[in-house]
Amino acid sequence: MPATPRLVRNFSIIAHIDHGKSTLADRILEFTGALSQRESREQFLDKMDLERERGITIKAQAVRLAYKAKDGETYQLNLIDTPGHVDFSYEVSRSLAACEGALLVVDATQGVEAQTLANVYLALDGNLEIVPVLNKIDLPSADVDKVKQQIEDVVGLDCSGAIAASAKTGIGIEEILEAVIARVPPPRGQDPDAPLRALVFDSWYDSYRGAVVMLRVVDGTVRKGQKVRFIATQAECEITEMGMFAPFPIAFDALGPGEVGFIAGNIRSVHDTKIGDTVTDAAKPSKLSLPGFKDVKPMVFAGIFPTDSAQFEDLRDALSKLRLNDAAFVFEPDSSEALGFGFRCGFLGLLHMEIIQERLEREYSLDLITTAPSVVYKVYKTDGSVMDVENPSRLPPLQVIDRIEEPIFKVVIHVPATYVGAVLALCEERRGIQKGIQYATSDRVIITYDLPLGEVLFDFHDRLKSASRGYASMDYELVGYRADDLIKLDMLVNGDPLDALSLIVHREKAYQRGRDLSSKLKEIVPRQQYEVAIQAAIGSKVIARETVRAMRKDVTAKCYGGDISRKRKLLEKQKEGKRRMKQVGNVEIPQEAFLAILKID
Amino acid sequence: MHPLGVYVHFPFCLQKCGYCDFVSYETAPAAAGSGATLAAIDHEAYADAVLAELDARAAGLEGYALASVFFGGGTPSLWEPRALGRVLDAVRRHFGAAGAPPEVTVECNPSSLDGDRARALVDVGVDRLSVGVQAVDDARLRHLGRLHSADEARATLREVRAAGVPRLSADLIYAVGDQTPASAAADARELADLGVDHVSAYALIVETGTRFGELARRGRLPLADDGAMVESFFAVDAALAEAGLEHYEVSNFARPGERARHNVGYWRGDDYLGLGCAAYGTLAQAGGAMRWRNVLDPARYAAAARGATPLAPAAEGGVVATVEALDAETRLRERIMLGLRMRDGLDLAEAAAAVGCEPWPRERARAAERLVARGRLVREGDRLRVPHEAYVWVDDTAAALF
Repeated sequence: MPATPRLVRNFSIIAHIDHGKSTLADRILEFTGALSQRESREQFLDKMDLERERGITIKAQAVRLAYKAKDGETYQLNLIDTPGHVDFSYEVSRSLAACEGALLVVDATQGVEAQTLANVYLALDGNLEIVPVLNKIDLPSADVDKVKQQIEDVVGLDCSGAIAASAKTGIGIEEILEAVIARVPPPRGQDPDAPLRALVFDSWYDSYRGAVVMLRVVDGTVRKGQKVRFIATQAECEITEMGMFAPFPIAFDALGPGEVGFIAGNIRSVHDTKIGDTVTDAAKPSKLSLPGFKDVKPMVFAGIFPTDSAQFEDLRDALSKLRLNDAAFVFEPDSSEALGFGFRCGFLGLLHMEIIQERLEREYSLDLITTAPSVVYKVYKTDGSVMDVENPSRLPPLQVIDRIEEPIFKVVIHVPATYVGAVLALCEERRGIQKGIQYATSDRVIITYDLPLGEVLFDFHDRLKSASRGYASMDYELVGYRADDLIKLDMLVNGDPLDALSLIVHREKAYQRGRDLSSKLKEIVPRQQYEVAIQAAIGSKVIARETVRAMRKDVTAKCYGGDISRKRKLLEKQKEGKRRMKQVGNVEIPQEAFLAILKID
Repeated sequence: MHPLGVYVHFPFCLQKCGYCDFVSYETAPAAAGSGATLAAIDHEAYADAVLAELDARAAGLEGYALASVFFGGGTPSLWEPRALGRVLDAVRRHFGAAGAPPEVTVECNPSSLDGDRARALVDVGVDRLSVGVQAVDDARLRHLGRLHSADEARATLREVRAAGVPRLSADLIYAVGDQTPASAAADARELADLGVDHVSAYALIVETGTRFGELARRGRLPLADDGAMVESFFAVDAALAEAGLEHYEVSNFARPGERARHNVGYWRGDDYLGLGCAAYGTLAQAGGAMRWRNVLDPARYAAAARGATPLAPAAEGGVVATVEALDAETRLRERIMLGLRMRDGLDLAEAAAAVGCEPWPRERARAAERLVARGRLVREGDRLRVPHEAYVWVDDTAAALF
């Protein structure tokens, strides 16, 4: 039985990592009685282990709560969690589109960060009612007034109604819930008999149910047994199950306008249920899809190869399984002279890449070599055609290239005024074009640059953190492509090209990169029985050379009864290290070498 | 009947050598003024403790034939031969009734060995002495922290030979500081000329926790580089081959029939019973093997061995400091690591059958193929061995086959 829309509130929480979003969500669950303290294992909403370890929400979650407000009415609150990392900002925008309001949680000891700001703008674009919450007021360093002032200055948000809270101690939780009732508007679009339109804001793969879809009904009613269609993907299914999490799953038969819930119906994969798509009735379809759908495209590509070529099929299976659950992840077979057969994989960003890599190793016990990530270059050929190159070793010969364009990101950096100089220097060094410097307050600065994504990929974030002693935060989005003087740099080991290490780089930086990379490889490549020459080359021209001296022996120590365990353990460790090595010609190259490019500065 | 080696550790020395990482304690004569408080050795009490441990351990052991007894240390030539003899007798009584007489070796230092001591040891049943000569050069001996001179070492070997010790081995350390390969070879040649049947030659390895380790850490120990070490390895090998000693294990050379049977037992993966303070033992048991080590402190060891529960963990008043369970796969890895050290290599199928596991999983077969292609390994059916010129890579080769 669909609820009265008047008594429904859909809201989410916007916060920077570590500003206490998950703790606040837990506290709200506890306060409304959805979760006992015992059940609320720390941070219930972050479901996956990896998320728990990294403290980052990767997949959005939604929970329905019943709250008896001070006005005597019992409201249905749908708390829609949003992913907390810039790689997933599209998913954030769709989660927000399912809401009428958002809590803006700001750490009262830290102030606003770049990522928070980006999400607040997404929320403002969607006309959401924003309720500022100043968290962690129990800490002695909390400065509520200063942070309020900052929110007003930087975000332009009226903070007179801001709530001071501590998710840790429970201060302010009731005020927050009352503010949600009073200030967040009930859902619009109230005709339960209109043609069905519902927004997909999350979906995941469940091995029993197929793809499970979280949706927000905008018009009409969705019922169990109904045949529905996804407008963008054209997939259809009959709903066999529907319900909501409270936070444990509860089943029901219909969802009315403004309500949030999940549906399932033996949908094969999440590629049929893309986030942002519109669900409509298959027999009486609505002509109009909901606005904002985007087919998200991977921005970062890397090769993933099994260390042991016998694991190729296992890797393919594992990638296929991960893809079932991740519409933004793509892969296709690839081969490298140095690394054999593997896959070229596309990710939303670096974090997304790390997560996938870690899951492959942890959940599927695969020994992998991952190459340094690359962006997608647009190569304009002299015959007028354009090709996308996401693997530097596939760059066509120089003579057929007219120009190469690279993806440019608008990067917004928030930093205390003291570190502005260091941050500007870093951006300039990375071929950035300054777009603006704005003093948010007297000591907080917002720096905006257009930067090539290729430059952002390589330890930019680490460098930014160290240039600002950890105080800078950043956000980025694609703004377009730009041509530059880009060339391919190759690395050779004993004359054999390590195609997996080829990279596309700006001409002015090629010599330095080549030298740095050679000397880094010299450190990483272990001494072997013969000399190993490491060279960097542009075309056929060698621009840097290093030599790894030959190792003449390993060890010839004694080995009697008391030495056996120690020696065996040593060799077991050695063997484990070798597992991660790849034979290139005569030379054993450790996994690390393929990421050497990430380790130079 | 399975062959059994018995190892008895004697944890005392006159003076600790700079490179040594064995468990040994300096005794009264040299320790005066060093700040350590060390009592003179109580020879009989230590023997009583070892005998008590032996009684406890032997009670549960059946189906073994005693192949060898090895007194190591420390410096077991410091032990009163009568006390050592009591231990040896008891070991033979427990295990030695059947089969060929066991090999009985005692490690000796020239500074605590002469003709009389050698005769006394032979009288209690010892048939092999392993003498820690280490170098035949006074400066190098001083650097190593040895108490004897080159001439004393020569004299000792001659006396011992004359005393009628049936089998004689000497230890040599090479690649010490800037020692040349020619000098290493000269030392080896001289040992052979002095009439030893067996030489153990070790490249100097600097271990942490030793005086050398400490010096090296501070950059104050001259060290031979890889290349010099390898050249010395082959120079020693050539000198001893010319003198008729076969290079039968990475660090060991013997005249025909003179291989150290006790040590060959280790390299074949035979069981060994360790007795005494800090001794290691490894015995097969259902589905694998158990390795243990006794407590390192002599006084604590002696008290525990003679206590009510000698075989209990140290925390419960026994002698056992650490225990390691070895499964079949681990045992096979050890047999590969040890077997490849020998000139004859090992029969992998046989070794795998003995411990109860698969000899040739796919990964190992492929690794063997690659090693053969690189000249690191010779494979004849199931027999694997390391060619002589690839001896210096034996650890890496073994690891590849793990």
